[in-house]
Amino acid sequence: MHDLPAPDQRARRITIGALIFILCCLLSTARVVWDAPRPSSLPDSANRIGRRSDLRFASLKASLPERGVVGYVGEPGAAALGDYYLAQYALAPLVVDHSENHPLVVGNFPSPPAASPAIRPPSENLQLLKDFGDGVILFANKGAN
Amino acid sequence: MALVLPTLACLASGFLLVCVGWSRKGPLPTDLLLRASLSVGYGLGLFSVFCFLARVCNIRNLVLVDLLVLVLLIAAVVLAWARAAENTTAVSTSNSVQSPVWFHRVVTSALVIALCGAFYSAILRVRAYPHGDGWDAFAIWNLHARFLFRGGSLWRDGFTALLPWSHPDYPLLLPAGTAHFWTYLGRDDPHVPAVVGFFFTFATVGILLSALSILRGRAQAMLGAIALLATPSFIEQGAWQYADIPLSFFYLATIALLCLHDQRAQEASSQPPAGLLALAGMAAGFAAWTKNEGVLFLGAVILARQLISIRSARRVALAGGKINFARQSGPLLAGSAPLFLLIIYFKHWIAPPGDLFSDPSSMLHKVLDVTRYWAIARWYVKAFLRFGDWLLIPGSLLLIGFYFLAGKEDRRTAQRGFRTSVLALALTLAGYFAVYLITPYDIYWHLRFSLPRLFLQLWPATVFLFFLVVRGLSEGVPAGSGERGLDPLRAGECA
Repeated sequence: MHDLPAPDQRARRITIGALIFILCCLLSTARVVWDAPRPSSLPDSANRIGRRSDLRFASLKASLPERGVVGYVGEPGAAALGDYYLAQYALAPLVVDHSENHPLVVGNFPSPPAASPAIRPPSENLQLLKDFGDGVILFANKGAN
Repeated sequence: MALVLPTLACLASGFLLVCVGWSRKGPLPTDLLLRASLSVGYGLGLFSVFCFLARVCNIRNLVLVDLLVLVLLIAAVVLAWARAAENTTAVSTSNSVQSPVWFHRVVTSALVIALCGAFYSAILRVRAYPHGDGWDAFAIWNLHARFLFRGGSLWRDGFTALLPWSHPDYPLLLPAGTAHFWTYLGRDDPHVPAVVGFFFTFATVGILLSALSILRGRAQAMLGAIALLATPSFIEQGAWQYADIPLSFFYLATIALLCLHDQRAQEASSQPPAGLLALAGMAAGFAAWTKNEGVLFLGAVILARQLISIRSARRVALAGGKINFARQSGPLLAGSAPLFLLIIYFKHWIAPPGDLFSDPSSMLHKVLDVTRYWAIARWYVKAFLRFGDWLLIPGSLLLIGFYFLAGKEDRRTAQRGFRTSVLALALTLAGYFAVYLITPYDIYWHLRFSLPRLFLQLWPATVFLFFLVVRGLSEGVPAGSGERGLDPLRAGECA
């Protein structure tokens, strides 16, 4: 058995512990502040998602039915998944299925043509209906049900 | 400005609901802070439930529904307060807790600095990323909110197996709450979910501060609040609209209300207040209505309550007494039951099956694979040290260090509310472990992207329980020094 510390000794230990605790927490508070976005960058970053979704698909949206399911083709690779999600976000309540097997298919190629040279129907079944610019294209799939 | 009316309606309905369940009369500022903080979650919870039910029943006038609910809640509060006036029991003595003046000043200053820093950072993040940063906000929660708001009578289209990446089986507290606000505004303003995330972040701190203040005194409460405000990823993910922060809000609310109930039951042994227990059950139900992990937590809380009650019953039976199980768990179940039924309805009739159990044939094989246990255990240890993104010293290590210096109060760890809460969190953590065992995804990918956030969900409740039991300064100051505080629990026992 070991002796319990005397009350004043215990108080000192708790006080020291609390002060160290506070000091370390305030270090992390410095990180909370330091990692915050700079006020000067606010206007640019605030519109980032809007530019890639709502603004980008505004004119296409007017040409699509209000409800139902449309297909989707985009750039290859996992990095382009975000573009697909943002297309769905913009076009809701229309369901955007990542497949060509629909009568209407949304094409989304945000990279400039040099990086993504094939702004042409990605498959033989697709026929270009309208190019809305900025890599947003509407295709028709004649073979789809 | 257009947001003011729905915000007031949301907070008022949450506040009134809390007042119906909790007629306790204590020190005004602390009680008010706790009720106001709770009202954020309960208000949005009610908003989401009524928006969802309105969509299901094809009711278009949500404002009328809100007015009706507010009138009913006001009537219920009047009734509850009239009853409470007759049955007023012990009053909190938390104001009697004192710590040395200089120490109190240091802690208060640190809290102000941490609060200002977190506030500054959160406001900038909300303004910089109104759609959230990372995919969760626009790929899951706000997308579902758009389907509920824009979809009209065909809102169910959004909850389709064609969009498995949007997790259409995820519950709807955040999407339906947001859609309710948008219905008031008449447009899908992206600032609504951003403001909701902001409110949840600071309301969680408010619950921690006020509940600890009632149970342990102000110094201990401020230390707890500093720990949470100084957790960088907590502030960051709250502002970025990750649902883990609202979930952590409901975990904390459940546990704080359970502990408040059990302390109150000790103070007024004749009739423990059932309202607090019902509110705790409702908070656990709202957790389940926020994210699938919440369903696990709800089950864990109910199971833990039963297990602890059975253990207490054995002890009481040995002493010749008897425990009333209906009173111990009935209100908890009654509070969570409506939300549980709502979740069953959503999962069974609206949402497609989730991805977790999509490959049952390989589950047994995975459960028997020892390397998976080892991998998960290693990641648990790693995440324990890293999840908060602290600078230099992890917050989890800080708590351990503080514990070794200060020690604990044994009589608090013996309290039923505390033991129930610890067991519930342990069961939830074990449940997360089991989910990783059977995950259909690559286990390392899954652990890497989700484990730190799962730890963050449990963090506010852990900080609360830690500062509930760790020895505070009022116990450590020598008697007769003039600075020794009166412990509220001990005062309650004396009363």
